[in-house]
Amino acid sequence: MSSAPTSDSAAETTPGQAPGTTQEPAPEPVPDPAPQAPRYVYAVTGSDHPLRLDGLRTVGGDAGGSLSTVVHGGLAAVVSPAPPDLRPKRRDLAAHQELQERLMADGAVLPMRFGLLAPDDAAVERALEEKGEEFSRKLVELHGTTEFNLKAARSQEDLLREVLTESDEARRLNERTRGGSGTYEDRVALGELVARQVDARQRLLAEQVVQQLSGLARARVQAAPAKDDFLNVSFLVSRSRAHEFTEAGERLARDYGEGYEFRLRGPLPPYSFAA
Amino acid sequence: MTQTGGVQPAATSSGSGTAGLYDILELILDRGLVIDVFVRVSLVGIEILKIDIRIVIASVDTYLRFAEACNRLDLESGRKAPARLTDLVGDMVESGARGKTGGAISGAIDAISDVFDRDDKEER
Repeated sequence: MSSAPTSDSAAETTPGQAPGTTQEPAPEPVPDPAPQAPRYVYAVTGSDHPLRLDGLRTVGGDAGGSLSTVVHGGLAAVVSPAPPDLRPKRRDLAAHQELQERLMADGAVLPMRFGLLAPDDAAVERALEEKGEEFSRKLVELHGTTEFNLKAARSQEDLLREVLTESDEARRLNERTRGGSGTYEDRVALGELVARQVDARQRLLAEQVVQQLSGLARARVQAAPAKDDFLNVSFLVSRSRAHEFTEAGERLARDYGEGYEFRLRGPLPPYSFAA
Repeated sequence: MTQTGGVQPAATSSGSGTAGLYDILELILDRGLVIDVFVRVSLVGIEILKIDIRIVIASVDTYLRFAEACNRLDLESGRKAPARLTDLVGDMVESGARGKTGGAISGAIDAISDVFDRDDKEER
């Protein structure tokens, strides 16, 4: 596969660890007649990826057995026996994420969404066969890139204050409804007016922030912000520019200053760009 | 990085740090490659997360909460108390209490931290 693992692979590859190595004792000694446990599927990489899986936890912990790989064509998938009652527990999500981070350090990776199960290794192999071209193309596209996710919030108090300062109507309704006075309709009218204003301001802010960082990114995916946030965006960034990107994010946060909160996460496996 | 409006250090995204994990939950649960012949286990938390994202605006309930927040605001007192945002950097439990930034609107993201808490207790 053309997704040769990276010039960035600063991490040393342990020489004894051949690609496709299964951890110590083979978990399924008799794979054929006895039906194999379902497979939890973590990620797809090129088969030339070093796949250093030693010391990593599995989803499901002790119940999950050990990690192994399914190789087909130029691709490899990392799997482990699926735990019987899979739920999004913190340590399982962490195990899923840590594995991606390890793989990402050594080359291109397509991280799977959390919670995907294949009936057995053969099914994983069939999927690699059927989707091989698509996966290989994506690995090439994502080679040498990483994801950054930025969430941002602005103090709601500041926003409300700003709206009330700038809108006579909002101020008038606010006066009228203070201390429990005014009608229900007044209250709803105030809330609606303010909610719309807050929303408009947040959208504008989001646009401004995205614009300031887009120049450093190859692609981006914007999603609905949660709760008090006004922004939730993922950027696909060349690894060579990752440092620059982080600095730009920090600068931006300093410029907006007090009353704003920016949460920049990365470098991350390219979850938002692998689908 | 203690000043308000600071960026949390980007290199701390390691999955072992739960604070970092919290902010990328939706990436792990909702993005990433899907192979459609595989089964996606039904996971309670995922639905919660999706609900959370929808509850933003446009309900009378939300309007009333905005109105109340405006009523409570002391317009004369001018500047807000500084630096409370830095408190938000913490583990998931603290993130669940994140409403400190806002006030009027709170949502189901608290619920997902509850799910985590429950799991952790079960595991110990």
